[in-house]
Amino acid sequence: MSLLQLNQVSKIYGDLRALDKVSLSVEKGEWVAIMGPSGSGKSTMMNIIGAMDKPSEGEVLLDGRDISKENAKTLTNIRRDKIGLIFQQFHLVNYLTAVENVMVAQYYHSIPDEKEALNALERVGLRDRAKHLPSQLSGGEQQRVCIARALINYPEVILADEPTGNLDEANEGIVLDIFRQLHREGSTLIVVTHDPEVAEVAQRTIVLEHGRIAREVVNENFVP
Amino acid sequence: MFLRMVKGAIFRQKSKMLMIAFTIALGASLATAMLNVMMDVGDKVNQELKTYGANITVVPQGASLLNELYEVEGGEAPVEQYLQESELGKLKTIFWAFNIVDFAPFMETNAVLPTGETVKAVGTWFDHHMDLPTGEQLDTGVVNLRSWWDVDGAWIDDQANPDIAQVMVGSSVAQAQGLSVGDVLHLNGTAATVDLTVAGIFESGDDEDDELFVPLSVAQALSDRAGLVSSIEVSALTTPDNELARKAAVRGPSSLSKSDYETWYCTAYVSSICYQIQEVITNSVASAVRQVADSEGAILEKTQLLMLLITALSLVGSALGISNLVTASVMERSNEIGLMKAIGAHDGAISGLVLTEIIITAILGGLVGYFAGFGFAQIIGHSVFNASIEMKPMIIPIVAILVILITLLGSIPAIRTLLKLRPTEVLHGR
Amino acid sequence: MKRQKMYFRMVVASLIRRRSRMLVALLAIAIGATILSGLVTIYYDVPRQMGAQFRGYGANMILLPQEENSMDMAAMEAALTHIPAESVSGAAPYRYETIRVNEQPIIIAGTDLQGAVAASPYWMITGELPSASGQALIGKEVASLLGLSVGASFTASYTPAQAETSENGVTQYQTMPFEVTGVLDTGGSEEQYIFLSSQDVEALTGEEGTLDVVQLSVNGSQQELEAYADAINGAVPQLAARLVKRVTQSETTVLTKLQSLVFLVTAVVLVLTMVCVATTMMAVVTERRKEIGLRKALGASNQSIIMEFMGEGLVLGALGGLLGSVLGFGFAQLVSTRVFNSSIRFQGLLVPITILVSVAVTALACLLPVRSATDIEPALVLKGE
Repeated sequence: MSLLQLNQVSKIYGDLRALDKVSLSVEKGEWVAIMGPSGSGKSTMMNIIGAMDKPSEGEVLLDGRDISKENAKTLTNIRRDKIGLIFQQFHLVNYLTAVENVMVAQYYHSIPDEKEALNALERVGLRDRAKHLPSQLSGGEQQRVCIARALINYPEVILADEPTGNLDEANEGIVLDIFRQLHREGSTLIVVTHDPEVAEVAQRTIVLEHGRIAREVVNENFVP
Repeated sequence: MFLRMVKGAIFRQKSKMLMIAFTIALGASLATAMLNVMMDVGDKVNQELKTYGANITVVPQGASLLNELYEVEGGEAPVEQYLQESELGKLKTIFWAFNIVDFAPFMETNAVLPTGETVKAVGTWFDHHMDLPTGEQLDTGVVNLRSWWDVDGAWIDDQANPDIAQVMVGSSVAQAQGLSVGDVLHLNGTAATVDLTVAGIFESGDDEDDELFVPLSVAQALSDRAGLVSSIEVSALTTPDNELARKAAVRGPSSLSKSDYETWYCTAYVSSICYQIQEVITNSVASAVRQVADSEGAILEKTQLLMLLITALSLVGSALGISNLVTASVMERSNEIGLMKAIGAHDGAISGLVLTEIIITAILGGLVGYFAGFGFAQIIGHSVFNASIEMKPMIIPIVAILVILITLLGSIPAIRTLLKLRPTEVLHGR
Repeated sequence: MKRQKMYFRMVVASLIRRRSRMLVALLAIAIGATILSGLVTIYYDVPRQMGAQFRGYGANMILLPQEENSMDMAAMEAALTHIPAESVSGAAPYRYETIRVNEQPIIIAGTDLQGAVAASPYWMITGELPSASGQALIGKEVASLLGLSVGASFTASYTPAQAETSENGVTQYQTMPFEVTGVLDTGGSEEQYIFLSSQDVEALTGEEGTLDVVQLSVNGSQQELEAYADAINGAVPQLAARLVKRVTQSETTVLTKLQSLVFLVTAVVLVLTMVCVATTMMAVVTERRKEIGLRKALGASNQSIIMEFMGEGLVLGALGGLLGSVLGFGFAQLVSTRVFNSSIRFQGLLVPITILVSVAVTALACLLPVRSATDIEPALVLKGE
């Protein structure tokens, strides 16, 4: 059974079909990139996979459970327990230090543990920046804090929305290296991007156009 | 383009701007209400203090209250002096006529009760209707000047018929004579006898409990002194005494310099009102009843000062409140300001834009607030004093300046702080 | 345990690291709390303070002999024990006698002159109050009748009631010289009297005598005064206590108006200020919609987000309330010393009330925007600017 399965999912805003009968399945441990130009429905899909939004039609099976009809409270619990989110604009709480930002995710999930949070920062190479506020960190560093935060609760799926969109090339490299590391460790990664370079490093790329899956490319040069 | 941006900010951020306008309106209404109430509170409390009764008494010149003593001692009564009833209307023609709230003439005479005891009968106006020479109408009398009386029965209604044959009996007399409301009392005066119906029995808690109160004309008939009155009590709204008033009171108005005299004469000091009364009532001496006049001044002053300080507190409060909110809402716009800087706007242009928006909002809010505040003032006026609070035009500029100044003071420091930030810092989530 | 620690860590971090915003919020709350505690303190103290001013109208209670010559100083002292000493702002026992000066009959009033001035603060005296034996304060009318002024002297002659007529038919009388130290102006009947100390009256008449009336100026509401009068009437049979209606009734009327004025003003100011505080808090919280969205995306339940904001609100409200209590008392004190020249009573209960109201207003003001933010899908909040 697939970890994530979308069956005939549509999202309709008024006259606009942001997603039009999309079906997709992602296996456990897989690294999938979702690509497409602006307005192709990437963000909508990301929100639905991330349990932040509900589809108008179709079903979304996460770990075999249909989450498309769940209420807001249950969705919150699902996000908390199964999904690690990484955003283009990082979205750190600006008055909390790096380690505290990681601990916030622990706090909502179960019990905050500063040592574990520091270990998570160690994994993204930010152990020595743990006590800094977001405003004292570079963009790349902020995104790495976000990744540490996404990892901390051992989510089933790590969902990244344009994770390198605000980063320079050097930082992009660092972030992608961390993704590779996560993949080797068995994490399931879904990366939404419009950058072919970012998509190329994934195992499989799904290209969206006008709310539909235009094609699916399996990356033959994939280096695990 | 500038206007378009301002318009955009105001209309597209409707809810945010509405909240600022709302807060400014609240602050402005608070200021308006308090200023209006404060400026009017003196007049209003002054009116209330009239319940203490007359603060000026007018007696004929040369008449001494010591007269009574001679009678007691059996000495020869000196030639009696009286005021003319026909001159009473002139009280409402003096410079401070408007400040004279109530007045009543008195004619005291002795009368013999059926039991043979002598009692003092006081003739006066109860609720007298007057057509003044100025064309105004006036209802005045002891109904207002003896507001503390506890009346069993009713006040004598002398409005329709000034010669009504009724009497109000002091509680001590009523007890001693066994009189009750509705009884007919036969009175033997020095010049005539009358039969009067007891309209009411009053308890005043002072010497008047031993007296009878009758319509003025009845007392005049009893003693054959038609058209004469022995004293007048006047209740006037006065300004608390200051140095000048004390000087005039002690050394007499003629000792004042010409300009001081003008100031004194044209201020509603109790001494200047007394002086003006003496000018219109022939052969009269008007003097302040210190018990009432002095305390009135003190209480007025205290009340006004109290209201002034409360107003000051609420002004400071609303000022801080408004500038605080403005600061908060300007700080909230750090992103926008950072962005504008990033696309090359100069500091001046940004400040101008933000300030214009806020000032427009402030003016709208202030306008609404002014009227709301005026409404609040009326609510206070009606529920406390049963009278509306006068609209003082000078409050409009005060509130306007206050609102604009406070808004500027609230926004400028915030804008300056934000301008100091580098655009990248702002945009990258600081 | 650990969770609570993180909770406090977040709340404290938000308060300390977002210093400027939190100061804005704290200031708003402190202003509200200051106005609350200041005005309420004044509202409660106005009757007391203003009541003292109304004592300017003079005596509001008089003691009269129940029967002729039944009231003496001992009876007055006995009556005064039924009124708390701190409430009596003036007590003046009066004994009236008739004397002759230059063959003119004049009434003299023997009294405790200091007490008389305290009971009738409106007395305007030109010159000075007699301070030694042989000095007199004379009414204005007496002064003009006798042609006396400050510094002049006169001889008072008194004929005892049971005067022994000597054999040649001349009434025997006692005389005593007096110096005028002051002339009294009241606009009332007091101007017809000569005021002497009780001791001088005793010396002149040669009799201890009894009191004709005692004037009392007592602080208190009409109900309190009535209770005092009833107590005296019940306990001291020699005299009758009566309220001076003109003063007590009018005081009640005016004081009630004044208090309702301060009450309404307080209410209007409070409501407007609290709304003002609430809007400021709302502005401060609305700014954090994005953060709320983020927390939701991280899996925070609405409840725990509300809890966090309430925590901040609680701290801010309590701090602001405490600050406001202190400032408000300071303001009330300032008003009291400026207006009434006396210090104000500290209302201890007002501190917890102020803090409670501040916390409630802050919490309510936070709750509305937080709720509206948590109701929105996190994706929308995170996307939208």
